[in-house]
Amino acid sequence: MWIIIFLELITFGMAIVAFAFYASEQPELFHHSRMQLNSTFGAINTVFLLTSGFFMANAVHEFKENNLKKSSLYFKLTMLGGLFFLILKSVEYYHKIEAGITPETNVFFTFYWLLTAFHLVHVIMGLVILIWTNYGMMKKKSDTGVEDIEACAAFWHMCDLIWLLLFPVLYLIF
Amino acid sequence: MKKTLLFTYGFLILVTIGTALISNLVTVSGLAVGLIMGLSMLKFFLVSFQFMELKKANSFWKGSLIFVLGMIVLALISLK
Repeated sequence: MWIIIFLELITFGMAIVAFAFYASEQPELFHHSRMQLNSTFGAINTVFLLTSGFFMANAVHEFKENNLKKSSLYFKLTMLGGLFFLILKSVEYYHKIEAGITPETNVFFTFYWLLTAFHLVHVIMGLVILIWTNYGMMKKKSDTGVEDIEACAAFWHMCDLIWLLLFPVLYLIF
Repeated sequence: MKKTLLFTYGFLILVTIGTALISNLVTVSGLAVGLIMGLSMLKFFLVSFQFMELKKANSFWKGSLIFVLGMIVLALISLK
């Protein structure tokens, strides 16, 4: 699992460095484009992901303490955080499309759409893994072990970590 | 609910609000970029070590994470 997480981080890391390279070539275009993004949406989405990460950590803790019902409740709260993230991101995408901002608009928005959409796919995959693991955990003859729960949590936290890098780079510093 | 997790969460939310305030109040400059990326690195480490339990992982992974993140942030600051 750690290998997957590091490969993902390196992939996103390389894309972020490429983004910074293009930003250094065209600073005015990147600054002007960045100002068209809603940083409040970005900050609220950060809070959603941090909150869901907090619930995920609690779900793992409760599972280890053998409190399956509490762990399942935290799983559901984690999913709720992820769902709120998806809803707000969809609203943001809708506003961008309505304003005619697409991946073809300029280099900044090509990166914006590619990076955020790739991250969004990870969040959706994370939600599917959460639903599946929670279902497996609550089955009568469950064979879900602590390693499964930890792997599921690690994937979810990875989505969180990637967003913690994307948010300042896309919304704040250029 | 573990108290350490709750404190970490509270601190993460405060740092997120702090980062948003810095970006709004301070004109984007080398100092602001350094501050924002520094706070983001702090959040990254708190999530990975406290929530993700990287602290229990092999030192190879801890070292790799610090190295990868350090390289990304260094590249960002030098290109900005």
